[in-house]
Amino acid sequence: MNSGPATPPGTFAWPRAFFARYGAGLGASVLVLVGFWILALVLVPQLAMADFSFRPNLPPTEQGGPRDVYTLEHYEYLVRGGAGGEGEYNTVDLAVLGRTLLAALFVAAVDLAICYPIAFLLAQSAHGGFARLMMVLLVVPFWLNEILRAFAFRILFGTSGLVNDVLLGVGAVEEPMDFFRDNVALYSGLTYAFVLLMVFPLYNALEHLDKSQIEAARDMGASWLRVHWRVVIPFAKPGISSGCAMVFMLSAGALATPQILGGPSSLWFTQIIYQWFNTGNNWPRGSAYAIALLISALVLVLVAMRVFKVRLRDLGK
Amino acid sequence: MAAVDLDGVSVRFGPIHAVRDVSVHVADGAFFTFLGPSGCGKTTLLRAVSGFVEPSAGAIRIGGQDMTGIGPHKRPTALVFQNLALFPLMPVWQNIAFALEVRGVGRAARRKRADELLELIAMPGHGDRMCHELSGGQRQRVAVARALAAKPAVLLLDEPLSALDRNLREHMRGELRAIQRRVGVTFIYITHDQGEALAMSDQVAVMRQGAVLQVADARTLYDRPHSAFVASFVGENNVFPGTVTALDSNYATVATKAGLLRAKPDEKLRVGDAALVFVRPEAIRFAPSEDVENRMAATVAASAFEGNLWRVFLELAGDLRVTATRVHAEAGSDGEDAGRVVIGFSARRAVALPEGPLAAE
Amino acid sequence: MTSTRFAGIFLTAFVVLFFCYLLGPLVVMAVTAFNSSAFPRVAPFECFSVEWFGVLANDVRLVDGLANSVYIGIGVVLLSVPIGMAGALFLTRIPDRAKPWYYTVAVSPILIPGVVLGISTLVFWDRLGRMFGAGDESVFYDGMFLTIVGQTTFVAAYCLLVFMARLQRFDATQEEAALDLGATPGQSFRKVLLPFLKPAIASSGVLAFLASFENYNTTVFTSLTQETLVTVVASKVRHGINPSISALAVAIVALTLAGAVVYEILRRREAGTGAKAAAGRNVVSSKLGNPALALFLLVCVAGIGTVYFAGTVGVEECKATVQAEKRRRAQERIDALEKTLQDGAASAAPEAPANPGETIFAPRNLQPATRRPTDEAAPTQGEGRQTNNPFSPDDLAPNGDSPGGQTSGQTGD
Repeated sequence: MNSGPATPPGTFAWPRAFFARYGAGLGASVLVLVGFWILALVLVPQLAMADFSFRPNLPPTEQGGPRDVYTLEHYEYLVRGGAGGEGEYNTVDLAVLGRTLLAALFVAAVDLAICYPIAFLLAQSAHGGFARLMMVLLVVPFWLNEILRAFAFRILFGTSGLVNDVLLGVGAVEEPMDFFRDNVALYSGLTYAFVLLMVFPLYNALEHLDKSQIEAARDMGASWLRVHWRVVIPFAKPGISSGCAMVFMLSAGALATPQILGGPSSLWFTQIIYQWFNTGNNWPRGSAYAIALLISALVLVLVAMRVFKVRLRDLGK
Repeated sequence: MAAVDLDGVSVRFGPIHAVRDVSVHVADGAFFTFLGPSGCGKTTLLRAVSGFVEPSAGAIRIGGQDMTGIGPHKRPTALVFQNLALFPLMPVWQNIAFALEVRGVGRAARRKRADELLELIAMPGHGDRMCHELSGGQRQRVAVARALAAKPAVLLLDEPLSALDRNLREHMRGELRAIQRRVGVTFIYITHDQGEALAMSDQVAVMRQGAVLQVADARTLYDRPHSAFVASFVGENNVFPGTVTALDSNYATVATKAGLLRAKPDEKLRVGDAALVFVRPEAIRFAPSEDVENRMAATVAASAFEGNLWRVFLELAGDLRVTATRVHAEAGSDGEDAGRVVIGFSARRAVALPEGPLAAE
Repeated sequence: MTSTRFAGIFLTAFVVLFFCYLLGPLVVMAVTAFNSSAFPRVAPFECFSVEWFGVLANDVRLVDGLANSVYIGIGVVLLSVPIGMAGALFLTRIPDRAKPWYYTVAVSPILIPGVVLGISTLVFWDRLGRMFGAGDESVFYDGMFLTIVGQTTFVAAYCLLVFMARLQRFDATQEEAALDLGATPGQSFRKVLLPFLKPAIASSGVLAFLASFENYNTTVFTSLTQETLVTVVASKVRHGINPSISALAVAIVALTLAGAVVYEILRRREAGTGAKAAAGRNVVSSKLGNPALALFLLVCVAGIGTVYFAGTVGVEECKATVQAEKRRRAQERIDALEKTLQDGAASAAPEAPANPGETIFAPRNLQPATRRPTDEAAPTQGEGRQTNNPFSPDDLAPNGDSPGGQTSGQTGD
């Protein structure tokens, strides 16, 4: 009975309805813009990169020539290592990839742990000025870009940085600690970098939770822990999963923070990709590595979604 | 101003047959209402007239002109939406003059026309308000004025009063009717509220499951329904199922569990048919005089005081239940009808109709 | 009762700690921006000074990068906002079955690592350029153009989400009403839908600009020989740090704050004269209301106070004192150092004027020494690379503006 145009059935009916609603000019502009974006910016470049990753590294003059054939050499390199490494595995690069993914998982988990209480407080308990103040304080650090935020951590964790000054001052340590080598700086910096990306999906999900549900559960004698476990967390699942997926993907794909805060033993996989492009001058291999990163990270997200029974459409809400 | 003719109009959405073969003539300048329960297809029919839906079969003519293939913005119709769909970012006068704005009318002329229409809907001086500053009834009238601004031949109203509270709704019935009389435009109104339909309309078409069952003025519809559905949907009715045992020139005799009842028959009825006898609660008399044809004993189960009248719930032999209303002043001392009573109703006030589906509660 | 109370105390402590974590690093960085010490530090606080802001303004590379960033940002806004809007309109008008597929593809650039987006953009346009036989000067190899399209890939998805959120609150019967009243589809769009989308256009524009402005991962690949503010800052930070970067951060926060406040005021003014349609507006932005204004005023006061303070206190005099003190201490340390030279250089006097940088920040030290021996397969090998430095050679170009830039060599490991 209510509004909304009756959607005519059938796949071929929609373009007509589409143009009827937007008219020829506007409808065509919408199609052109969307087509340009989805095809020329999103889909085809990814495919081009995938294609490129199966090509040998040739000088421009030879590209498209007889030697430009499909090859798995770059993927082989990632798994087996360079020539002479027969039977061996490329333990260095694979270890870097594994460590990058694990560290990104760790960052997502830590972010979830520290952001959940904040988001819950913000969505359910905070009101008026206090809530607005919290919101501002949350947002302000993210007006700075990743590099400046990483820079701040570098100042903080330096050998003569504030943290070491304090630790030395109270006598907790004898020598200045090397936070970079121990990756403390890197992990704190990454965790910090994505706090907002975790808080907002959680907040959006929790904001719609009816307070009376919590009160009802409390009224029936559930402990706070049980209320969260049985009522709040299931309700916030879409927010939790999109927050975690976003933080994980962005940490795994981070470049600036590891470059600035990374210790001597913690190369990030993106840094290897960067090397192949900039100094290694081997674009196809860089592309192959980028695809390896993309696919392995996506697979991890999809597996996690399957395990936690999250549907794709819940993400990005 | 124009008459509207629906000629065998059907609308299908895939397997759903929303409107079935509707043929109706709406006279020029009439206040015409489609009345039916929700889901009966009346909104779809209205959208077909306004051009948002193409009929799968049949033709719609406005002022004699076939509307097939003509889009909503080119039809001489204007729609008042159920949720009004006022433009929240424009002040009242720009809302009203929107149809003129898109036709390239100059600002001064638009403002002038908007002020005229504000006069018409008894809201002079409200042009610079924003819509959210108005009351529900005022928004209602602004929506009507906006639709009238383009001087449409036909105004279509899609349950526009449903969002209002009861008192305001009843007040707005009178307002709408008055506006219609003043401008003389053909109004096609749809509603599920039979009180609204009866109070405002020149003609009412009752719809069920996509089809029009009866088109008539309000009194005919109430007193002489053609089908069990119309009898039970329009107004309150008591029903006695039975079988026709005799037919004479004026009355049918129907054998029911409450005995033989005399009622005005529908022309389709034949002796031996299953029939339903309908009688309105207000037609039922207590302790009727001897010349009342239909008399029966009953037990008062309960009675409820509703202010202007009493509603008395009665139980009859054979598990029949009957509701009767008595005007307050007439009721016995404090309306304490109780115990066993004799009730009756005149054959003129009862109708016998072929058995058929009733309106759900 | 007591457990509730305990939980309350715990939660309060947690919130306080959380915001210390969030704001502490920024406060520390802000303080270093005003410390005359050549190495960014809080303690010892030598002299209050605004000289690092001056260094900032005179840094040609930074200013050029800033200009590029602004051009790119404008380009990204001009491209992303219409695409995001078209994408959202498109989504409302396609068959329900197609929606999840389209949505997944459209939003995927948000989840794809920026590095991957940069590479795919680079590869795609390079191949396209080859196909057309375009030269190196053509648009296909123009860092600005590539950066704009590369960033638009994911920025448009942000804009799409903003427009979708707004469209969800749009009453589609308004469009029908406009059509019914005789408006053409184009008029209905311009007069009804577009005004409704105006706040979303503004906020997605701001969002697009900020996202573009601060992007690094994609830009570092697509910018080729061009530099943006962020890539300049990144290479400076990797070289060694100095307080002018802190000053830059302070300037950015101040500018963004000012921008946010102006935006908020404009938005409120519009909301005041506008309709209650804005009533259902973004909760986040509504919660950003007053404190933003208060903060802005605070920053203004602080800024004026700063200038006043800096102008009245004798900075030069203070610096001279500190300098003398430092020289004395440095000499002491050098003396001490000579005695314990074999202990390694890790504890080298960090405050020696000639070597203000800390060795640990030397880029070369970021290379894993432990990795070398087993590193046969690493990309550093066999590709004609001179060192195992992870950063591109041009980043090592001497940089006069970066006092901490040069390093003391591969020590310390």
